[in-house]
Amino acid sequence: MSLIRSIFIHPVVKSMGSWSVAMLMLLGLWQAIVSVFHVPAFVIPSPVATISALFQNEVMIRGLLWQTFKETLAGYLVGAAVGVLLAVVMSQLPGLGRLLYPALVTSQAIPIVGIAAPLVIIFGFGMTPKLIIVAWIVFFPVVVNMMDGLAHIDRDQINLARLLGATRLRTFLYIRLPACLGPLFSGLKIGASYAVTGAVIGEWTASSKMGLGTYLLAANAQMNSVGVYGAMLLMTLIGIGSFAMLLLLEYIAMPWRHRATSPWRRAPHL
Amino acid sequence: MRLQQKDLMMPNTPEALFSQAHTGANGNTPGRAVKLSIDGVSHAFDDNLVLDNVSLDIAPGEFVCVLGASGCGKSTLFNAVSGLLPITKGSIRLDGEDIVGKPGNVGYMLQKDLLLPWLTALDNIVLGASLTRGATQDDRLRATALATHYGLGAHLNNYPTTLSGGMRQRIALMRTITAGRDLMLLDEPFGALDSQTRLSMQQWLLQVWAETGRTIMFVTHDVDEAIFLADRIVVLLPRPGRIGRILNVDLKRPRDVSCMTSSTFISLKAEALDLLYR
Ligand SMILES: Nc1ncnc2c1ncn2[C@@H]1O[C@H](COP(=O)(O)OP(=O)(O)OP(=O)(O)O)[C@@H](O)[C@H]1O
Ligand SMILES: [Mg+2]
Repeated sequence: MSLIRSIFIHPVVKSMGSWSVAMLMLLGLWQAIVSVFHVPAFVIPSPVATISALFQNEVMIRGLLWQTFKETLAGYLVGAAVGVLLAVVMSQLPGLGRLLYPALVTSQAIPIVGIAAPLVIIFGFGMTPKLIIVAWIVFFPVVVNMMDGLAHIDRDQINLARLLGATRLRTFLYIRLPACLGPLFSGLKIGASYAVTGAVIGEWTASSKMGLGTYLLAANAQMNSVGVYGAMLLMTLIGIGSFAMLLLLEYIAMPWRHRATSPWRRAPHL
Repeated sequence: MRLQQKDLMMPNTPEALFSQAHTGANGNTPGRAVKLSIDGVSHAFDDNLVLDNVSLDIAPGEFVCVLGASGCGKSTLFNAVSGLLPITKGSIRLDGEDIVGKPGNVGYMLQKDLLLPWLTALDNIVLGASLTRGATQDDRLRATALATHYGLGAHLNNYPTTLSGGMRQRIALMRTITAGRDLMLLDEPFGALDSQTRLSMQQWLLQVWAETGRTIMFVTHDVDEAIFLADRIVVLLPRPGRIGRILNVDLKRPRDVSCMTSSTFISLKAEALDLLYR
């Protein structure tokens, strides 16, 4: 009994609950607007119509969803890894960091569509340019947030490490890295919510395969508004899903924020 | 060693007073074993002279308290001895070796406990090993035994934020002890505790000290605390920080609360207060 209770009051479950309620409220609002104002279905289809069309279109939609999800995930992983790596290198080599920082900012000042065209010229149609576009969007919030975290580590904690005779690598693993996990996850979460947009822009400019983005364009051209809204719904699903995944990872990575004792480190028995 | 050195020290004689005010000679008899030798140390932050010609020798196994008002340079002196702060002038030797600007040779518990919030109490205790060569199961076993011996066994899997102030201080002290340096610098470790907890922590520290045989330098601005703990009390005077006098504490060990009302205690207290608030 208390186990069941503890599952239901578990923070992750609780936040899943509030998320579901929020989603249902949004869908409800959508339905209400369509019904109250008698919006014609070819302008805005009702959520019921959109979702039931999705289920009828199951095979194709699943294929599209899978394609766009793959692009988003692959690009996201590359972008996140590049972001983390850059942050570590730039904070360990401050000279290089000062040189690279303006370049990073510049990379984000270029409109993403402007980057897409040359990427297609260089790599041709296919996965590579799409992956680069997603990674291009994702790495920036990751590197900026993580560098910020690394720059604001308590001096005294670093002094403590020096007093204990620490090596540089171990100081990084035991102090710098855990100390910047909070900002790092902020960057990862922002990146996750941008990643789908990157994948869709990638599909619009560089796709050889049909994904949600390309489907959206096609449906739009055919005045298939149920298809447009269905694709939009699925993109949103990817975005929210990855954000929720990161919330869970963050929760697991920093148990000291919500637990009294460590879930995996145990003192030995005497 | 402690007794011997105490017998030889006559801090209130004119000679001792004289020698403490000058470089080099610092009231220590030649030939006596010296753990730490602080010689003519001065330090200025920009043109603010904080330490002025501080000289002091400390014997192995000795417990020395540094007593002084807030801002008189106690932490600065410890930062210098720990190697964190490269000093403007003077030398600091540990077992004869120069340690100025070389952290890692002495144990140092800073004024803040600095427990890492992402490590359990036990992992905080073995941090020294983790940061140098990696903590082994043996390190963890020994730290567990030590912590259990000193009454912390039940909380070793806890994260620091869930521990009381007294427990946090003890964990920080364990971390300093476990790092295995002969000389430990403790900067106001009990400053933030209520007076009851503080007293039991002082007794606990004396027990640890007696059992481990380490040399301890201990900063406080509490006169009672200094007398209760120390073999010798170094009174630092402010602006610039310099040694005003070194007081010998001739109270027999082990000490308990009752010694705080003894006549020796009271007269030492009067003397220290007179130096501090003159
Ligand atoms: N990094 C620094 N830069 C400039 N001035 C400093 C620095 N650290 C300390 N000081 C100055 O040196 C003086 C002594 O400081 P210190 O921290 O050693 O005092 P303290 O005796 O430990 O005081 P407290 O009992 O309050 O801890 C103070 O006037 C302080 O302002
Ligand atoms: Mg201080």
